[in-house]
Amino acid sequence: MQSADVIGSGFSETPKLNYLTNGTTLKSWLLTKDHKRIAIMYLISVSVFFLMGGIYAATIRLELLTPASDLLETGTYNKVFTQHGILMIFFFLIPSIPAVLGNFLLPIMIGAKDLALPRINLLSLYLYWLGGAIALYGLMQGGVDTGWTFYTPYSTTFSNSYVLAVGVGIFINGFSSILTGLNFIVTIHTMRAPGMTWFRLPLFVWAMYAVSLVMILGTPVVAITVLLVAIERVARVGIFDPAIGGDPILFQHMFWFYSHPAVYIMVLPGMGVVSELISNFSRKKIFGYEFIAFSSIAIAVFGFLVWGHHMFVSGQSIYASMVFSFLTMVVAIPSAIKMFNWTATLYKGSIDFSTPMLYGLGFMGLFLIGGLTGLYLGAIGLTVHLTDTYYVVSHFHYVMVGGQVVAYLGGLHYWWPKMTGKMYSEFWGKTSAMLVFVGFNLTFFPQLILGYMGMPRRYAAYPPEMQVLNIFSTAGASVLGIGMLMPVVYLLHSLVYGKPAGDNPWRLPGLEWRTSSPPPTENFEKMPVVTWEAYEFGEDNGLDLEEDRRRDLAPVG
Amino acid sequence: MSAHASDKFVYHEPGLQHQFEDMKQQEESVSIGMWLFLAQEIMFFGGLFTAYLVYRSRYPMAFAAASNHLDAFWGGLNTLVLIVSSLTMALTVYYAQKSNRNMQVIMIILTMIFGAVFLGVKGIEYTDKYHHGLVPMAGLNQRVKADKNAHHETEKPCWEVDRNAPPAVHPNPRGEFLWTDCSLAKLAQDENILTPSERFGYYSGGQIDIEKFKGIVRIFYYLYFVMTGLHALHMIIGLGLMTWLLWTAWKGNYNSEYYMPVEMSGLYWHFVDIVWIFLFPLLYLLGRHFNH
Repeated sequence: MQSADVIGSGFSETPKLNYLTNGTTLKSWLLTKDHKRIAIMYLISVSVFFLMGGIYAATIRLELLTPASDLLETGTYNKVFTQHGILMIFFFLIPSIPAVLGNFLLPIMIGAKDLALPRINLLSLYLYWLGGAIALYGLMQGGVDTGWTFYTPYSTTFSNSYVLAVGVGIFINGFSSILTGLNFIVTIHTMRAPGMTWFRLPLFVWAMYAVSLVMILGTPVVAITVLLVAIERVARVGIFDPAIGGDPILFQHMFWFYSHPAVYIMVLPGMGVVSELISNFSRKKIFGYEFIAFSSIAIAVFGFLVWGHHMFVSGQSIYASMVFSFLTMVVAIPSAIKMFNWTATLYKGSIDFSTPMLYGLGFMGLFLIGGLTGLYLGAIGLTVHLTDTYYVVSHFHYVMVGGQVVAYLGGLHYWWPKMTGKMYSEFWGKTSAMLVFVGFNLTFFPQLILGYMGMPRRYAAYPPEMQVLNIFSTAGASVLGIGMLMPVVYLLHSLVYGKPAGDNPWRLPGLEWRTSSPPPTENFEKMPVVTWEAYEFGEDNGLDLEEDRRRDLAPVG
Repeated sequence: MSAHASDKFVYHEPGLQHQFEDMKQQEESVSIGMWLFLAQEIMFFGGLFTAYLVYRSRYPMAFAAASNHLDAFWGGLNTLVLIVSSLTMALTVYYAQKSNRNMQVIMIILTMIFGAVFLGVKGIEYTDKYHHGLVPMAGLNQRVKADKNAHHETEKPCWEVDRNAPPAVHPNPRGEFLWTDCSLAKLAQDENILTPSERFGYYSGGQIDIEKFKGIVRIFYYLYFVMTGLHALHMIIGLGLMTWLLWTAWKGNYNSEYYMPVEMSGLYWHFVDIVWIFLFPLLYLLGRHFNH
């Protein structure tokens, strides 16, 4: 069977060119059409933005260590939390898993040589850079203080900050996201290898399909909204600013029409990664493949119907609120389907607690809390008490950081050997995974309580009786920060000193493990022909895992 | 398979990209990609249409009054021009499929001419708005000095302005947005068809307030300029595509075997036409019956 040949290729005598060694000039990187190189450039870029957003987060937590607004002025604090949100959401969370892991793995997972539209892929990277540069320019010039939501009239009448530059940056970055989504859908439709039917696709690919739908249909709406705000600021005429006859609620509708689905842009890819992790590290075929696949699509579709739950107290009609509240509860169903199926997959699995699996299990716990607290916020009665408190802050951090970032780190560790050909230190990997989990809970669980006590978000000061919980939260943030910085060190260390990973370090049947590590530029030596089901750990998947294991245990060289 | 790096000197079909196995796969990919791009475009314009519909349903009278100052003749002419350009675009694809280079080139040139005519007419219309103080941004209208010697007209209430009179040029020293006619609000008040939003959106102190009415007319013109402006931008991008297409068609790149770029540019062109097909009635035609 040819896949065994491919496995063997990593052990051949002459070193073959892989995607990293095939061309080493700067030009060969900047003008590359190779999805893997583009993914690596995305990885570096989003890491930079993540670091910057993280510095803002650290500043916020430091300020909140004491009840008074002493470290930062309130005006500066407004800018700090706004910029934390903008950098993290638009420039880290949204591109993270799709543009890094999706770009790298989607073509390999379906047995293609590249994405269907490689030049468009490169264009979307450049748009991301351009948008990021313009947004950074705005931040350097003086920043924005509107909140990441750009609510009018904060962003029109009352804002003296650089809303225009940052808005243009987000507008351009939006098209990067649209083009990535477009590329993924085309690729999944037309580039699958022979035998790779829809229901043999890894669930990560299904998640990418769902997230691409949201990107294509949602992002243009926020693009036009941001464009209208920009014109409104320049021309002093418009439809959003009440001072000139506009309607701020219309802005909120149009903004959340994208920005709620954007939450699913952030969490769906995480679910896709976790589906991979749970099944593969339980050595068990995933339970309810079709249910998980279709629940991704269902989340993408329902995600478009619930934006009004951000506006329960903004003056939207009570009947609209009731419908949105009901639909919000409905979204819990496909999310719960995933959780139950993952749990059922774990049941009687042969669970391997490697670093990626620790992140995967961490995701399940944190996303569970994130999802359940979302139900509280979706109930129109209770939400009046909880709106704009730390309960909300904690809820969406449980979903975005506990969900997306943890899944992203899990995926990065899981596919790191494939991307670089090197194995990182498992000890430090496990340590950092656990630090992230503990630090995260220590940071954000106290915030649930603080929010329930009524501590409002977006203030630099708070009553002294809330200080204890805030100290817990800041202490947790320190642990979380260390846990997040550690991978930077040991992953980079592994690039030079890491042991060669081999082609299939985890002994898994997926297509990406049937090519060499790092993969060659064209991904596979020969066009793969898929004859096995997804997550098939049986004998008939064309992969002799036992033989592979014996060979790997034998001393090399 | 044939297109792998290891045997890259194998014969390629012209125009086949390295990542595809054959032409059929490439054509499918490009075609799905283009349709998804158009879906994205629909959502992009969709935001604007939503804004238009929200405001129109709230303030039908102000929108009807504002709409009456757009020239349905020019709008109609442009609709005709674009529909014919769609025909020539479709014929371009047809002749590409028939490998007829000369007719392709002629049809592309015709399409470009129609596109240019459309933009020219749009220019005439924008100039007209400039002269009559209908550009919603202050300072962008023609500055007209107040004539000190002119007989000072007695101020008529805004609802007695004759709305069917030809638009006059008013003094406008700072190039601001001008609007003096609120007769349609009065009409709606008399007929008792004001919407709840209009009931407080046009009035202050129980009287129709021309400033408030003007603010909403200004919103119409804001939407008009953003919608038609973005559409015109798409037309300009379309003309750029056509220039490239003309060049490649001139070189004889397209034939019955390979005509994907022609078909894709055609899809884009038709899409831009269809956007106009929606813009024209919404902006130019709705509400005209209140005036005539």
